[in-house]
Amino acid sequence: MNGLASITLEQWDRRYEELRAAGLREPEYGGPLRRHVEDGDRRLLRLRFDPSPAALRLWNFLLTEEDRLRKARRDGKKLVGVMKDLGTTALMTHCVPELVAFYPDGAWWIPCVMEMRAGLFSIADSLGINDSFCPVRAMLGAFVTGAHFPIPDMLVCSAGATCDDFSAIAQRLEGLGHAILWWEIPHRRKPESGEGRVELPGGFVAPAEQVAVVRAELDRVREGLQSLAGSRLDDARLAAGIRKANQARGLLADLRRQAFTAARCPMPALEMLVAEMLAIHFCSDFDESLRVLSDLHEEVSARVLSGKGTLPADAVRVYWVNPVADLQVMNLLESCGGRVCGTEYLFSHALDPIPEDLGPMEALARMALADPMVGPASDRAERICRDAVGFGAEAVLVSRIPGASHCALEGEAIAEGVRRLGLPVAEIEVPSLSDACRPRLVTRLGGLIETALRRRGS
Amino acid sequence: MIVAGIDAGSRTIKIVLWDGFRGAMVGAGIADQGVEQDALAGALLDRLLGETGRARSDLGRVVATGYGRNIMSMADSTVTEITCHAVGVGHVLPGARTVIDIGGQDSKLIRLDGDGGVRDFAMNDRCAAGSGRFLEVIAARLGVELSALGALARRSERPAAISSMCVVFAETEIIGLLASRTPPADLAAGVQASMANRVVAMAGRHLDPPIVFTGGVALVPGMSDALATALGHPLQVAPDPRMTGALGAALIAAGHRDPVPARVAPASPW
Repeated sequence: MNGLASITLEQWDRRYEELRAAGLREPEYGGPLRRHVEDGDRRLLRLRFDPSPAALRLWNFLLTEEDRLRKARRDGKKLVGVMKDLGTTALMTHCVPELVAFYPDGAWWIPCVMEMRAGLFSIADSLGINDSFCPVRAMLGAFVTGAHFPIPDMLVCSAGATCDDFSAIAQRLEGLGHAILWWEIPHRRKPESGEGRVELPGGFVAPAEQVAVVRAELDRVREGLQSLAGSRLDDARLAAGIRKANQARGLLADLRRQAFTAARCPMPALEMLVAEMLAIHFCSDFDESLRVLSDLHEEVSARVLSGKGTLPADAVRVYWVNPVADLQVMNLLESCGGRVCGTEYLFSHALDPIPEDLGPMEALARMALADPMVGPASDRAERICRDAVGFGAEAVLVSRIPGASHCALEGEAIAEGVRRLGLPVAEIEVPSLSDACRPRLVTRLGGLIETALRRRGS
Repeated sequence: MIVAGIDAGSRTIKIVLWDGFRGAMVGAGIADQGVEQDALAGALLDRLLGETGRARSDLGRVVATGYGRNIMSMADSTVTEITCHAVGVGHVLPGARTVIDIGGQDSKLIRLDGDGGVRDFAMNDRCAAGSGRFLEVIAARLGVELSALGALARRSERPAAISSMCVVFAETEIIGLLASRTPPADLAAGVQASMANRVVAMAGRHLDPPIVFTGGVALVPGMSDALATALGHPLQVAPDPRMTGALGAALIAAGHRDPVPARVAPASPW
């Protein structure tokens, strides 16, 4: 028997008791998943989960971040909300022992996880940020209620060649009295002839001048963090943080390699999505995120070795583009006969190793400039196509984020690139709660799977 | 052995009965969609079986497609309408390379490979402006039956330019145009052209001929002409275009074309 079925929350209740009886050891944030439903995370009732203790730890780690932040504040640490930048300023902040970083942007999943009961979109609406914006507008509501994370001591946000929606939302937030340390990132371009060129992680190149601009901007962030903490963020601390981040990225890279290339899918797409997110925010605890990833990596390695998987061996290999506002859609792909065999969740640069043979600020500047969102859509499409081929994808799914300004431009560029590879591609748009549009999502996902299966057979 | 294909669409349920031995359709029918979709489909199926002197016990495999496919309790398996339209068109018009399907709720553009299989597809299912619902709303606003919209459009001398891409705003625009005494015929023609342009825009690039038009909207007079104009290429309306999806489902049930293993597209994804 090589099957390991994903389970519902109800099944997790029983599974948890069995694991406890068998001597399950958990970290202090451990416990049954059910308690999060009692705290309002009702979407968990509709999801299917991996049944391993490693997955339990992952979910518990994710869903207890607010507790950790409140404890950090009680312990005298300062909280820094790092916004829009994916993977750079969070890392810098975690290098300062007196500071804890978190992503207020993560509030974009609250409407899904709490099934709209928190009313965050209504608050954003009342502030003029309506549904023509990306669901990350929920963050605005979370700042107003203060009910989902403590109001940070400092806010840092990137501007420039980033998401237009987010910039508008963050500006509105600043208008509400939350001061923001803005840092600018230019639109990445290829160097012109005669310009100095710099290799970036991920295979991109940029003019040396752009890297210098980003480095100067990150220096301003460094000064801001030092001022808040009252201690120095020197190169030695940054270098140590980069080494630790690379450890997490290395674990994640191998986790992805194994999960995406194994003959049988060893870990469901939903848990893989949560794991990948750890690479950018560390869930407010850098060291613990490493332990969580290690556990998951160990579980996946063991399953691959024994040939165990959570899906049929012939599930269609789908490369997934963009994160989904409704987590349930990751389950949906699998119930339609697919498996995720590669992802680009808008932060592929945060999965690449940060150069350790450079000065740390230079290395961080290069990484920040490699962000797929700050370059042309064609760069992103190119990387997606390269990865899709590398992971042996049979189809590509582009998941649009409702209201997100970048999606309108990128989708077709990505789809065109994929078609040139001869792979079928479909686009879906996933709102925070997709229940009402499930039939059409099933049709698109099903159509993609059927098309890929037919190609396999022909 | 008799098999059945059921297309549970948003506006109507279509069923085709297929004789697998003779390789021929032995029955086909349509019923309006409603709240009790499963019961309505069951009643239609029983009626068609009765008309051919058969009962449910004589029925072999049943394949369901369409938006309501996952609640068809009599179905042995489900297949998306994308695949079913491709298979249906492949049977009635072999050699087709593109299918444009416009139903009550959405529109689809399906590119076929040389064997009639799906190569790629695009859908508009987020906005009524590319669906039969758009024409229904506008016909009602112009005070004519949907079936008369095409005849009205043919009388147009100068089709109105409808700029709105949303059915709600388009209706508002039409109210304004009526108030400015734009002839209803010009509005009808303008609406058909607007819808055709929207569907063609979904293609995003060149479409390979032969192009076949399926779905209930293909029966609306003038729509195929509007589409052909927008495409800059002639297209052919499938024989009985409302039944193409159900026919494809029946052919898959009969094993004539089995493009996907039966395990895919479960009866309920949950």
